[in-house]
Amino acid sequence: MAAADHTAARDVSASANPLLRFASSARSALTLILRTTTGRVGFTIVMVHLTLAVIGPWITPYTPTDFHLDDRFSAPTAAYWLGTDEFGRDVLSRVLAGARSIIWIATVGTVLGVTLGTIVGVTSGYAGGKIDQIIMRIVDWLLAIPSLLLAILVINMATQRFSGVDDSWIIIGIIGISFMPNNSRVIRSATLAVKPLEFVESARLRGEPTPYIMFREILPNVLPVVAVEAAIRISFALLLTAGLGFLGLGVQEPTPDWGLMVAENAKHLSTVPLSALAPGFAMASLVVGINLLADGIRQAQNIPETGDSR
Amino acid sequence: MARFLIVRISLIMVTLLAVSIAIFSLIELLPGDAAALMLGQQSTPDSLRNLQEQMGLDRPPHIRYLEWIGGALRGDLGVSAKSPDISISSVIGERLRNSALLAVSAFVIAVPLGLAMGVWVGSRADTKIDRFLSMGGLVTISLPEFVTGVVMILVLSTMLGWLPSSSIMMPGESIIGNPQVLIMPILTVTGALFAYIFRMARANVIEVMESNYVRTAVLKGLPMRTVMVRHVMPNALLPTITVIANNVGWLFGGLIIIENLFAYPGMGGELINSIKTQDIPMLQSTAMVIAAVYAFSNLAADLTYGLLNPRVRLS
Amino acid sequence: MTQTPNSEAPLMQVEDLAVTFYTPRGAFRAVRQASLEIARGEVLGLVGESGCGKSTVAFAMMGYLPGTAQVEGAVRFEGMDITAMSDAELRQMRGNHMAMVYQDPVTSLNPSMRVGRQVEEALVYHLDMTADQARDRAVDLFESVGLADPGRIGRRYPHQLSGGMQQRVVIAMALACEPHLLIMDEPTTGLDVTTEATILDLIVELKDRVNAGILFVSHNLGVISRVADRVAVMYAGEVVEQAAVRDLFKGSRHPYTAGLLSCVPQPPGDDGVEHQLSSIPGAVFDAQVEQSESCLFAPRCPLAQDDCASVSPPMLDAGDDHAVKCLHHENVKPGIWGDLLERQQKPDQDGGVPVLNAKGLRKFYGGGRKKWILFGPSVRQPVRALVDVDMRVGSGRTLGIVGESGSGKSTAARAIVGLIPRNGGSLELHGESLDSHVHERTEEQRSAMRMVFQNPTASLNPKLPIRHAIVRALRKFAGLSHAESNERAEELLESVGLDPSFLDRQPSELSGGQQQRVALASAFAANPDLVVADEAVSALDVSVQAQVLNLLENHQRETGNAYVFITHDLGVVRYVSDDILVLYAGHVAEYGPSPDVLSAPSHPYTEALLSAAPIPDPDAEPTHIRLEGSVPTLRAAFEGCFFAGRCPRKLGDICDHTPPPQQTGLNGDGHVINCHIPVEELEAIQR
Repeated sequence: MAAADHTAARDVSASANPLLRFASSARSALTLILRTTTGRVGFTIVMVHLTLAVIGPWITPYTPTDFHLDDRFSAPTAAYWLGTDEFGRDVLSRVLAGARSIIWIATVGTVLGVTLGTIVGVTSGYAGGKIDQIIMRIVDWLLAIPSLLLAILVINMATQRFSGVDDSWIIIGIIGISFMPNNSRVIRSATLAVKPLEFVESARLRGEPTPYIMFREILPNVLPVVAVEAAIRISFALLLTAGLGFLGLGVQEPTPDWGLMVAENAKHLSTVPLSALAPGFAMASLVVGINLLADGIRQAQNIPETGDSR
Repeated sequence: MARFLIVRISLIMVTLLAVSIAIFSLIELLPGDAAALMLGQQSTPDSLRNLQEQMGLDRPPHIRYLEWIGGALRGDLGVSAKSPDISISSVIGERLRNSALLAVSAFVIAVPLGLAMGVWVGSRADTKIDRFLSMGGLVTISLPEFVTGVVMILVLSTMLGWLPSSSIMMPGESIIGNPQVLIMPILTVTGALFAYIFRMARANVIEVMESNYVRTAVLKGLPMRTVMVRHVMPNALLPTITVIANNVGWLFGGLIIIENLFAYPGMGGELINSIKTQDIPMLQSTAMVIAAVYAFSNLAADLTYGLLNPRVRLS
Repeated sequence: MTQTPNSEAPLMQVEDLAVTFYTPRGAFRAVRQASLEIARGEVLGLVGESGCGKSTVAFAMMGYLPGTAQVEGAVRFEGMDITAMSDAELRQMRGNHMAMVYQDPVTSLNPSMRVGRQVEEALVYHLDMTADQARDRAVDLFESVGLADPGRIGRRYPHQLSGGMQQRVVIAMALACEPHLLIMDEPTTGLDVTTEATILDLIVELKDRVNAGILFVSHNLGVISRVADRVAVMYAGEVVEQAAVRDLFKGSRHPYTAGLLSCVPQPPGDDGVEHQLSSIPGAVFDAQVEQSESCLFAPRCPLAQDDCASVSPPMLDAGDDHAVKCLHHENVKPGIWGDLLERQQKPDQDGGVPVLNAKGLRKFYGGGRKKWILFGPSVRQPVRALVDVDMRVGSGRTLGIVGESGSGKSTAARAIVGLIPRNGGSLELHGESLDSHVHERTEEQRSAMRMVFQNPTASLNPKLPIRHAIVRALRKFAGLSHAESNERAEELLESVGLDPSFLDRQPSELSGGQQQRVALASAFAANPDLVVADEAVSALDVSVQAQVLNLLENHQRETGNAYVFITHDLGVVRYVSDDILVLYAGHVAEYGPSPDVLSAPSHPYTEALLSAAPIPDPDAEPTHIRLEGSVPTLRAAFEGCFFAGRCPRKLGDICDHTPPPQQTGLNGDGHVINCHIPVEELEAIQR
């Protein structure tokens, strides 16, 4: 299979290297996205966040978990640009550090969910019949529990039962599992739109193996939908992760968490409003950026708004 | 239609049964049990055994599950682990009312406003005002509830002092008697919901405006107003309402967070509360009721679609 | 500045109209220079291939062009300039003095409004009728367009009506306010040939009844010749010829018109000699190119001379109210598109083993199974898509399968190639039994039997280059190495008349005709013995259709492969087929050698299909056998004859209660007619 795929990729490529080919098609897709206003603004915001998350550890003025007990509840000063919280921790350093974990969790969780959803959706849609019915019934059942409720119960169970587990992996797992059903539905309906097309029948008439048809012939045609899905889902994942943090069920202290920072510092709004507003603004701007980018992809690829929700 | 309803309700029952088993098992997996958690540090083997017997925890899990589910069907959810005087049913009854008040108010405000604005903006697709408002809508949807809520508290409560920053009330007071505590939670829920409905309505109106039958209506010489009211709106709002109804789950996540931010006495607040105090019986029942409400909201969504769509209604 | 109608002025006058759409991808010149006139009471046919700008002209007459369109020239309705009207003035015209009938009636009706209201609202708005008056008038209108049960049809929703009924509703809607000008944009395209015939009858009848001028836009020369009084031909956004219908069809003065006519398969003349189709080489002039000082048709024209490349020809008078945009129109005569070659006779059916032999082919969809839906078993009858169909095709020969939509012809094609597994009957390739599933067949069987589909755009993967479809087939079936298959792919592309450089293009960069050639190259890749072509030329413009038909025929002559050719177009099937199978509701109505099937005695269904087919000849006698309704989807077996429900020659009870006997035609047992009426009698009534 792998060997066959390799030659197939060579067969169809204008340039010899499939990676180069992919890069060039990704570049032309990006050009299209950047032609839309929302795409441009969203891309800029997301790039700023990513850059800060990457270079964060080198530019933070303080260690985010250090207490400066002499400087508790400090207003913004030259030393603490965004002030400090009730333990005198530097808010700027904590906001910068918080970006890393939340972006990591949301991205990996989404990749997991969208990958699972795409495999399930393409399989279910292409197979049809009984297999499709069974898969879709399971998906319906998974959808019967709101994802935040599921997350709360699982995290509660996991944190009580297993101490010392890195709960970012639990959150990643929950994001993956709770995104899979909705995602697989969307991908399934995109697959159903492609499946009756003649080039798929053509491939069947050539006697191509089923996995080849699903992933070589059909998948490229549903990839734009997958891209939009992934972009929207990342924003849902960010909201879920931050929401759990806000409820005190997110990644454990001392890792800085935007949601938890808002929750803790909301008590001190009258003294140091920035301590709650800064992580809140960071969170909001990132989600706004991603949603704008998703809208740009949608416009560029001409995909209608489906109204998926969290 | 009746057959459809019966089939759907039966399916929901099966689903809820599966969900209840899932919830029960997730909680059953917890270390220790309700009795151990109640006794905490003071637990001795003897006192633990006594309490376990008293609470019926010494019996096998499937028996306890059946008892719990049986009780739930009779409306008796048992008592809280915190005190045998607290009936879970009455607590949940009150919390459910409060949450419903919040959710229904948000719906009543957001749906008509969102639809109206969606139609208005959708009929002006690709104008400056459309680009501005639809981008604004996208930004509003993206804002996390706890951020908008915090900003609202800062402005309306801390800075202006117009409203109380939380919904905490004296014992014996009810939400109805203190409508001012409702304002900020409702505004927070409404914000994102309104923007979402507006975006969906706009997208559907634009799609319908490009349809051939709207072209037919325009080329009949009808005034734009008539075209919008008779030809665009019925066809654009039907899918919009369906999408909204199918996504009531949106509300649930938001409600849990908002209720906790404002310390609002609703189901979401109770859920987190029972986790923090490890009140297992309360946690089980709260989770189950939330799942049930969720399932029935989805059924209501399907029915709305069926009732509004002549194709479904007539077949 | 309100304009008032001038009764002296022509009803509709278009003068030097040019419409340019500005899109993000550049300017798109949909109409370059169009001038035409419609008088009261006449039908002007506007004909041309896709992209020639004919629909844009129609919408410009209604003043309905998007804001991105730049309009030059004049469009005058009763002397008033449409392009200068305000929205309010346009509203007074539209639906009232000028009205439109659209292609695709199902999408042109509001799905959530009862059809009666959709007709009434124009009456209430324009004629100030009360609701009751409007309702009565709507009933009259429904009756006048031949809708059964006019009193109650207004209560229905569009999805409860068949395509033909929907189009009648749209026509009733257009006639509501007794417009002076009626614009019909491809009103029968997409309808079944039998439905098309009844709608055309209605339009022909209406043109005598209502005193409106009609613009009838169509790509179909046969349809135009049936309804039009005068005809305007468009090419690349220009009106290139305009004349009375008979003058145009019998003595076209523009090389393009002459070419179009020679591309349409015609029945053999009185001498019985059948001619090969001509085709117009090259592709339509690119709408994105700026106007140049030359004849736009010159690059494809066999008469082009030096001056054609330097002078843009004006509209010239060719006598008898005949205008033509060609400098050399006096040189246009039969034969400019190549000599009329007599078609070579094909070898007779050899007695040997046929390439394909199907016996009792059967396909039932769904049903049969018991399904528990909580309350007990519900048994669903299957949909009987194909019932006991026999067919055989010898090498070097072509079997045509015809029928309306729902007749089962596409199911038959897919059952043969194994895309849809059959439920019963036997299928043999060269005498060797074929599995019902394509993936259970051997590689040799798959490579021996290939398929070409209707929609060329969908038959190539839009995300993969052209190379993919051809090279994959070569590697799978011919077992060629990577380098060999790439080399062979280039040869194949050349053999279907495409440049080898196309291999690295994306499908979206190709025109429909080019895409279909690629599909052919891929089908021919492994030298198949049988190619199943499912409506393979239906989506193509007539000039391109002729190219593809010739390509298919040449390939057959060179390699001796067999074709199963599925089509709804009787002209095409007559041209390509050696044998014809007529299907109705999954049953064989008639089967036999082409000449036998196409002449009396025929099955009444064949007779009705032939009668409905529009012939591009204004002198052709109008035919009168019409079928109402559409092919039924039946879950139960027919008790009597499958065609009894719509048969215009139904005998009576026997047709309802006894399945028809299989009769043999007059020329021997190769010809089968499944009908209660004896063949001799059929011949007598059909002569």
